Amino acid sequence: MVKLYLLTPYIVLLMLYKPYFNAHFPPLKTLICVFLFLFIAIPSSFAQKKFTISGNVKDAATGEILIGATIKIKELPQNGTASNSYGFYSLSAPAGNYTLLVNYVGYATVSQSVSLDKDVSLDVSLSTKSDLNEVVINAQKPNNDNVTSPQMGVVKLDISQLNNVPVLLGERDILKTISLLPGIKAASQGNTGFYVRGGASDQNLILLDEAIVYNASHLFGFFSTFNSDAIKDVDLYKGGMPAQYGGRLSSVLDIKMDEGNNKEYTVEGGIGLIASRIKVEGPIVKDKGSFMISARRTYIDLFLKASSDSTVKGSSLYFYDLNAKANYHFDDKNALYISGYFGKDVLGLKNTFGTNWGNATATIRFNHLFSSKLFSNTSLIYSNYNYAIISYLVGNDFVATSKINDLDFKEDFQYFASSKHLLKFGIDALHHSMAPGTITSNDSSSVNSKTVPQRYGLETAAYISDEWHVSDKLNLLYGVRYSGILLFGPGAFNTYDAEGNTISSTTYKSGQIAKSYFNLEPRFSASYNLNDSSSLKFSYNRNTQNIHILSNSTSSAPTDLYVMSSNNIKPEIADQLSTGYFRNFDDNIFEFSTEVYYKWLQNQIDYKNGAQLILNPDVESQLVYGVGRAYGIEFFLKKKYGRFNGWLGYTLSRTELKFDAINNGNYFPATQDRTNDVSAVGIYQLNKKWSFSAVFVYGTGNAVTYPDGKYEVGGVTTYYYSQRNGYREPASNRLDLGATLEGKPHKKYHSSWTFGIYNVYNHRDPYTITFQDSKTNPGTTEAVETSLFGRIPSVTWNFKF
Amino acid sequence: MKLKYLIIALTVILLAYTSCQKVIDLKLNNAAPQLVIEGNVTDQFQPQSVMLSTSVPFSAQSVYPPVSGATVTITDKALGTFTLVEGPKGTYSTVPFKGNYGDTYTLSVQTGGKTYTATSTMPNLVPLDSLTVRGDVFDNKNSRTITVNYQDPPNIANQYLFVMYINNKQVNTIFTNDDSFTNGRYVQGDLFQNDIDINLHDTVTVNMECIDENIYKYWFSLSQQQGSGPGGGTAPSNPPSNLSNNALGYFSAHTAHTKAVVIEQ
Repeated sequence: MVKLYLLTPYIVLLMLYKPYFNAHFPPLKTLICVFLFLFIAIPSSFAQKKFTISGNVKDAATGEILIGATIKIKELPQNGTASNSYGFYSLSAPAGNYTLLVNYVGYATVSQSVSLDKDVSLDVSLSTKSDLNEVVINAQKPNNDNVTSPQMGVVKLDISQLNNVPVLLGERDILKTISLLPGIKAASQGNTGFYVRGGASDQNLILLDEAIVYNASHLFGFFSTFNSDAIKDVDLYKGGMPAQYGGRLSSVLDIKMDEGNNKEYTVEGGIGLIASRIKVEGPIVKDKGSFMISARRTYIDLFLKASSDSTVKGSSLYFYDLNAKANYHFDDKNALYISGYFGKDVLGLKNTFGTNWGNATATIRFNHLFSSKLFSNTSLIYSNYNYAIISYLVGNDFVATSKINDLDFKEDFQYFASSKHLLKFGIDALHHSMAPGTITSNDSSSVNSKTVPQRYGLETAAYISDEWHVSDKLNLLYGVRYSGILLFGPGAFNTYDAEGNTISSTTYKSGQIAKSYFNLEPRFSASYNLNDSSSLKFSYNRNTQNIHILSNSTSSAPTDLYVMSSNNIKPEIADQLSTGYFRNFDDNIFEFSTEVYYKWLQNQIDYKNGAQLILNPDVESQLVYGVGRAYGIEFFLKKKYGRFNGWLGYTLSRTELKFDAINNGNYFPATQDRTNDVSAVGIYQLNKKWSFSAVFVYGTGNAVTYPDGKYEVGGVTTYYYSQRNGYREPASNRLDLGATLEGKPHKKYHSSWTFGIYNVYNHRDPYTITFQDSKTNPGTTEAVETSLFGRIPSVTWNFKF
Repeated sequence: MKLKYLIIALTVILLAYTSCQKVIDLKLNNAAPQLVIEGNVTDQFQPQSVMLSTSVPFSAQSVYPPVSGATVTITDKALGTFTLVEGPKGTYSTVPFKGNYGDTYTLSVQTGGKTYTATSTMPNLVPLDSLTVRGDVFDNKNSRTITVNYQDPPNIANQYLFVMYINNKQVNTIFTNDDSFTNGRYVQGDLFQNDIDINLHDTVTVNMECIDENIYKYWFSLSQQQGSGPGGGTAPSNPPSNLSNNALGYFSAHTAHTKAVVIEQ
C-alpha cells in the first residue's frame, strides 16, 4: 500500500515551484484539497505489520500534561518521539515485548514494559525528583535530544530555573530572562522588549496559548504581561522556524499557560516590592479536568498617596493581570481547553491626563484523536488590544481611543506516520480589524472629533512539514508555509509617491479586496549526527510579516500603531541561513552549541524626517522602505543538571539597514546592532534551605546618532548630523545576585523568601544621552547622560498551601 | 504630543528614586564647517534680513562665524527683486518693505562658488487673540504654563510657530502647531517648556508666526528631536530644509503677531 506521507516532499516541491509555472495557480485551494485527502485517506492507510503505542504524558502529582517528554523503546533505540503541546505521543513498532522509557527534565525516568500485539493506549505519569526518596533520584538520566533533533535555533526555557534567576525589583519575568540567551538582546536596561538575531522588537511573534499578544509590556516595557506564576512552558525559536508558525520575521515566542492541578486544590502566591500575586488551581472533576486562575497587581500607586503634592496624590499608576485556564478530558480521544488573559495598565495625573491600555485574549481548543496516529487540534482564538488617552485640561479636553480585534481559526494535524515520519499540517485564518484611532471632544475643546478609518484584513496560511528520520545519522525537518494577506474595504486607499504626496485614491466597498499578497515560505532543517554526543545542523527558512508596528520611540509605548501590509507597505521578508555544531560532554551533563547565521531582510520600514504617526490618516505617506542584513555567531554552554547549573552565552553579530532616504543611502548599524554580547547565569543549591544565583551581562553599547557639529537657527542651538547611528553608547554591564530561603517544611503549607540585588556594583548604563546648552557654563553645550537603575535590592515572600 | 508629556511626567515619578543624570564627556567628530542660511520675510514693514554663518564643532564655544561677501537677493513677483546689503558681518538686509500675504518669495544666495535657492509662500494672517497663564499641574507655585489662544480658520490648512520670551530672554523650546487636530477651532494651545521658570511679575512675550507647510515640517522635526522621551525619541537628523545644495537652515516667508502678558498671580 502506498504510504501517503511519502508524498510530502512532492507536495512541498509542488508548492514551491508551481507558482513559477503558473501565476494563477491557487495553491491555497490545492493545499486544502491535499489536506482533506490526507485527512480522509490517512486513517485507512495503516501499515499492517506495525502496532502503535499512544497516550499522554502527565505529572504524577498534579495530573498536568508534560510537553516535550521523550518516549523511547529500549529495544529499538532509534525508535523515539516526544510528547506534543498537549502531552500526546504516538510510537509505532512491530509486534513484540518492549520496555518503554519516558524521560523529562527534572523528573525520574519511568520504564514500563509493554506487550505489543495490538494498538496500545498507555498514559504515563512521571514524578518529580523531590517527590521521590533519594534512592531513585539517580534514575534520572540526561539525554542528548538537543544534539540529535534536526531543530536548531530553539531555546526552551526551564520555568523552575527562571524562578531562581534574579531580576529587577524581584518581579520574575520570562521576557527579561530570555534576553540572557545568546542571539537575544534586551531592547534597553530593565526593558522587556527584545531583539532576536538583529530583528526589530516588532518582528517577534509572541503567542500566549496560541493567541497573539500585541503589546507584551506593562509600564512602557519595564514589566512584561506574562505573570510567571501562570506560565507552564516557554519555547523561543530564533531560526529554523517550524512551518506551523508564521507571521513575524525574527522569532516565535510560544508561551503556554499552566493547566491547573487536577488532583487537589492548591493556593500559592507572593508578596513583592511592587506587586503581589496569587494563583488558585484545582480539579473540576478529579483526573478529568482542572482549572487555574492567577492574578497580579502592582501597588506603586500607594507610594503616590504618600506624596505631599496634591496632583501626585490624586494620580494613578498601576497595572494588573488575570490569567485563567480550564481543561476537561471527555475521554481518551477528546479534550477541551479554554484559556484567557486580561491585563490593563492605568496611568493618570489628576485633572490633567490619563491613559490606559491592555490586552485581552481568549483561546478555545479542542483536541481530537482520529486514530492512535492522527492527532488534531482545532483552535478558536480572540485577541484584543486597546488604549485610551484622556485629556482633562480645560479647553483641551478629549478622549482618544484605538483598538485591534483579532479572530483566528486554526486547524492543526499531527500524523505520527511511522517511526521515521512525523507529519504536521494545518490551516490558519486570522481576521484583523484595526481601528487606528478616534478622538471624541466637545464643542469648547481646541480639538476636533476625528476618526481614522478602520482597516480590515485576513491573514491566511496553510502549511505542511515532515520530520523524517532518514537514518541513524541523518534527520530532516522540512516543509513549506503558504501565507497571505487580504486587505478589505470599506474605505478609501491612497497611494503615495516617494515624497509622500497622494498620487491616487481608490474607494472599495465592504468586503471588496483592496490589496492582497501571497508568499511561499520554505522551511528546512537537517541534523547529521557525527556520533552519540555531537552533530552538525543546517537550516534555511523564509519568513514574511504582514503586521507592522509604527513607532518613533525605542521603548514600548501604548500608542504604537499597528498597520497591515497594504498598497503602500509590502510584506516584510526575511531569509535566514544558519548552521551549527552541537556537542554534549560528560554524559550529556554539559551542552555546548555554536550557530552561525546570515539573514537577508527586505521591505524594512523606517520614517521620514518629522514623521507624524499619531492619528494620521495618511500615516503610510510618512514611511520609507529599505533592506537589511544581519549576521553573527553564537556560543552557548549550558549545565542543566547538578547542584550547580546555569549557562554561558556569547554572541558576535552585526545588523545593518539601508534606506535611500537615510544616511545618504549607505548601510548603517541598526539600533539593535550589538557587536559583543555576553551573559552568564549561575545557580547553586547550597543545601535544602538555601540556593544562590548570579547573573552577569555585558553588551556593546547601542548604535546612536550624535551630532558632528552645531549651529543656530531661530535663536536656538541646533545640532548637525552627518551619519545615522555612527556612534556607540558606552558598553553596558551589570551583575545581579539572588538568594532563595526555603521555609521549614510544614504539612499544610510551604513558604520561601527570595532576596535579590539588581546591579550589585551600581554600574550606570546610559538610558538616553541628550545634548543641550550648558546652564553652568553659558555659551557652551554639553552632553547629558540619564541612567535609570542603580543598585536596587528586592525581597519577595512566596507561599503555597 | 500631549501623551509624551504625560509619559515623561509619570516616568519621572516612577524613576525619581533610582534614575540619575550627569554631564559626560564624549569624543565627537568635528565635521567641516557647514553653511547655515537663515532667511525671513515678514508681513511687517521693516528691512527683511538673511543671516549667513557656519557650523562649529560641538565642543567649541557657541559662537558661529559669519559668512561675508555673499550675493543675496529676494524676489517677489509683485515687488520685484531686492538685492540685500551686508550690514554687520554675515547679516544681509533689504530696504524696508512689507511682505504680501499669499506671495511666493524666492531667495538666492551666492557664496563660495555655489548658488543656494529656496522659495516660501507667506500664509494669510491668523491673529494671536490672547495669552493666558495656567498654573502648574503639580503644586509648584513657580511653574506656570503660557497658553496661546487663537481662532483657527476652517477650510484651509494652517501651520504655526511660536517663539516665547521671558523678560526678553528667548526660551529655547521650539513650539509648533498645525491644524490637523484643531481645524476651525478656537485653539487654546499650551506652550509646555522647562527651560526658564515663569515667576510673579515676569513679562512673557509670544510671537506667533503663520508659516508655510515646508517650514512647518522643518520646525516640527526640530521640535520632535528636542527633549526626547523615555528610551530616546526619533533618531535625530538634519531637518528637511527648503534650501537647495544641502545648506543648513531655512528661508521662511511668514506673518508675525506679538503679544505680551505680565504675570500677576
